[in-house]
Amino acid sequence: MKKTTIALLAALSLTSSLTLADYPTKDIQGIIQWGAGGSTDTVMRSIAPHVEKELGGDIILTNKTGGVGAIATKYVNAKKADGYTLLMGAENPQMYKILGLSNIDYSDMIAINVLARGTPIIVANNDAPFNTMQELIEYTKAHPGEVKFGSTGPGGLTSIVTAMLDSQVKLNYISIPYNGDGPALTALQGGAIDVMPAVLGATIEQIKAGRMKAISLVDVESNKLLPDLAPITDALPGMKSYLPWGPFFGVFVKKGTPDEAVEKLQAAFQKAAYNKDFVDLMQKRGFTIMNISGKEADYFLEAYRSTSSWLVHDAGFSKFSPEEFGIRKP
Amino acid sequence: MSSQSPSLTTRKPGERIFCFLLVLGSVYLFWQAYKISGFSSLSSPGAFPLAASAAMVLASCITFLNTLKAPAAEDVRFVYHCFPPVVAFIMALILIYSVVLESLGFVLTSFVFLFISIQFLYRRSPLTTLAITLLSLIVVYIIFRLVFQVVLPEGIMPEREILSSITSLWR
Amino acid sequence: MDAFNYFAMSWLSPELLGLTALGTFLGIYVGAIPGLSVTMAVSILISFTFSWDVNYALCLMVGVYMGGVYGGSRTAILLNIPGAPSAIATALDGYPLAKKGLAGEAIGLSTVMSVVGGFVGIIVLAIAAPTVSEFAITFQPRDYMMLGILGIMLVGSLSGSSLARGIFAGALGLLIGTVGLDPMTAEERFTFGVVELWDGINPVAVMIGMFGISEALHQLHHMNKAVVKQKISRIIPKWSDIKKYMPLSLQTSFIGVIVGALPGTGGDIAALMAYDHAKRVTKNPKVPFGEGAKEGLIAPESANNAAVGGAYIPMLTLGIPGDAVTAVFIGALFIHGLNPGPLLLVEQPHMFWFTVGNLTLANIFVLIFGLTGIKLFSKIVECPKGILIPLIFLLSIVGAYAINNAITDIWWMLAFGVFGYFMRLYGFPVGPVILGVILSSLTDENWRRAILTERGSVSDLFINMLHSPLSTVLFSVIVLILFTKSPIWTKWLKRKVFRPSA
Repeated sequence: MKKTTIALLAALSLTSSLTLADYPTKDIQGIIQWGAGGSTDTVMRSIAPHVEKELGGDIILTNKTGGVGAIATKYVNAKKADGYTLLMGAENPQMYKILGLSNIDYSDMIAINVLARGTPIIVANNDAPFNTMQELIEYTKAHPGEVKFGSTGPGGLTSIVTAMLDSQVKLNYISIPYNGDGPALTALQGGAIDVMPAVLGATIEQIKAGRMKAISLVDVESNKLLPDLAPITDALPGMKSYLPWGPFFGVFVKKGTPDEAVEKLQAAFQKAAYNKDFVDLMQKRGFTIMNISGKEADYFLEAYRSTSSWLVHDAGFSKFSPEEFGIRKP
Repeated sequence: MSSQSPSLTTRKPGERIFCFLLVLGSVYLFWQAYKISGFSSLSSPGAFPLAASAAMVLASCITFLNTLKAPAAEDVRFVYHCFPPVVAFIMALILIYSVVLESLGFVLTSFVFLFISIQFLYRRSPLTTLAITLLSLIVVYIIFRLVFQVVLPEGIMPEREILSSITSLWR
Repeated sequence: MDAFNYFAMSWLSPELLGLTALGTFLGIYVGAIPGLSVTMAVSILISFTFSWDVNYALCLMVGVYMGGVYGGSRTAILLNIPGAPSAIATALDGYPLAKKGLAGEAIGLSTVMSVVGGFVGIIVLAIAAPTVSEFAITFQPRDYMMLGILGIMLVGSLSGSSLARGIFAGALGLLIGTVGLDPMTAEERFTFGVVELWDGINPVAVMIGMFGISEALHQLHHMNKAVVKQKISRIIPKWSDIKKYMPLSLQTSFIGVIVGALPGTGGDIAALMAYDHAKRVTKNPKVPFGEGAKEGLIAPESANNAAVGGAYIPMLTLGIPGDAVTAVFIGALFIHGLNPGPLLLVEQPHMFWFTVGNLTLANIFVLIFGLTGIKLFSKIVECPKGILIPLIFLLSIVGAYAINNAITDIWWMLAFGVFGYFMRLYGFPVGPVILGVILSSLTDENWRRAILTERGSVSDLFINMLHSPLSTVLFSVIVLILFTKSPIWTKWLKRKVFRPSA
């Protein structure tokens, strides 16, 4: 016990003299919103070592799943605002307020870095009787209630892309929910569902191998990875008002964190996200590197929130109106 | 179905009450399951919970009726055979442990818990108990906190500061 | 020739060989400690091996995986706390063996049979991976649903003397499994407005509570009883035993490979199905099931290790994870700059045989490390109860916390521990509860998907079921089991047919 006491006293004296001058003085805990093996987990685990090098301290990564990420968000905001607890998350919190999941979203936190953005793509089973967006629309109209769309639950990427579609054309299809795009894409290959919107990175390898076919890219222009695939705006020009839109990965801290820590973290993440290994990794998986912080990040986050919130609200599956939270109409 | 428990011919003290509580609990859960989405459709979120809780209600009723028929077991006393004081004491200890764990931190609460429970159950000199407690705590701490990086509740102990000051001695 | 070179890569390089050995060794202990999962260990290794060459990292991780799946049986046999859900079925007959002083023999036998299962998995992976993975992805929601029902029917074989109590326990488990935000509609189920309940109640917390805590509480009754001396003279099982149980082990291994290869199911379900299979095919066990039948130990252990090879099948050929661990493996490959997916084997031709070689090596290390140190392990059970029981409590608490770094998991574990204590006291089996928790979402979600696909029509569901050969087979199996072998029916038959004459 004596030893512990000595170490304790030593530690206290150390921290009191060094707290502000030399962030970080202890391990930083990174709370990952999603489970091991998911895309958020993979992105965060691949950038963390580069950040550690920049910061000169360890980041302990912890997966804390549940409530579409709301539990991790709540946890980080319950901790001290000292810059030692980071939230490593995806786009989901931006929908929490209107879905009634939590009263905290990213606008109530400080963005350290919005690392990258994904592009949605619509893919179909190889045997599906359509190959382009136009054909998909015509076929669905000709066979109402027959085409099976995969979905990943309200508020997820698929629900927002289908909400975008619904705002343009009225389609009658069966929606079959899965928990996550992994299981849904597997079901797509097995023929349990016909079509589904997903993020490009999750489908690119399967498309290249010819295990599923790409129908349309949900963006305003084609992507380098699939140069022949037409953007959705060719078939539905009205979609331009929502795009470009896509899920993103970002790192956040609680409001009230000392500026010094925020600046150090922002600098470290910015440098790490420029690392060639990381950039290569992200591009190969079809993610667009953003690497933004500060005002730029806030602007991006706000734009995402307003587009998605109103889409979801207009599609009728929000619990509260975006107006209640002062989310402006896009 | 009701005569299917040949080996459970007698009942222990408290069994009837326990089974009755299960019936009550099952009915409550059935009501909760019904509230999810009613009897709206076969694919509704409430359909499966409704089916499961219905099975619970049915099965618990059968069990309860069986205990009504079964004669009480002889020479079995609740306080002695079913719920001896030692079990109650340890249960209370664990309950206290889990309540204070977050505020006091893992190291302190576990130390106190281990010390008291080993002393109570093993009944050797406090020094032996202390040695066993410290040793096992250190092993658990190393495995979970240091090797597997499970950040155990820190509570009032500034663990991470202590750790970093220790590692800084090596650097 | 290339194939052989790749296969032998990790055998010939001392570093790779050493890392595989180290990984397997670590894995056994990770697997044995409840709450520390292989998934977690592999994720930590990702950060740890970030700057390494990918082959080195893979050797270590494959070792951890193989060792970890095996390791879960250790604590299941010795302390009645399964180290992982895939070892639940192992505890049912393994722990009674340890109580009789046969822990050494039980561990020895389970080790050998795990290795047999492991090899079956690897062989199927090596020779039939493309076929099996194509077969696995053709499983439709209705097929998964029927697998779930098949599993739920196991309640019959887990409930002991009172079927009504077994059904109650199983239904309770199914209900516990539905707690949380419904993953399909985000509807709240039994959450009572508490955010911490959105993600549901973790099966591992229920498992540690129902098995570990409640057993430890019961042990408190017998504080004065002397601890059972473990016979450790026989550790390597008798050759005649191995020969006798080999057919069962091979059958259950095949169950393990297939269930492991299915993207929606893993080693936990495989092990439970294997246990049920063993119970049905073993006509006259020497010792009744649940009281230390060796068949009940062998079946789940063969199956869960065979599921490792199975889980690799869709992962290597299609980039689809066969279970949670292979999902993390896919992340690891991605971080190391590879492209896990259907083209992986085209772009990285060495990967397939390298992995097969690695798994084989890890499996051999499981045999070596598994059979050494048993004496020491068996001593754990001989440790005075006054020390052992508090330590079980501590380990259970830390283990429950480690699942998701949440205090709420500890509370659940304790609540189920106390509830489990009373359940056992009054003759309710606890096995079906865990069974229900594990199978709940599989059955619930796929039932609803199947019904949605048919636009709500049950008759269409049946018609389409009979159009697919796979669904027809599964359906017939369910009907067959229900009408011939299930205890519900046999008991009824016995009553109706034999009672009048008796």
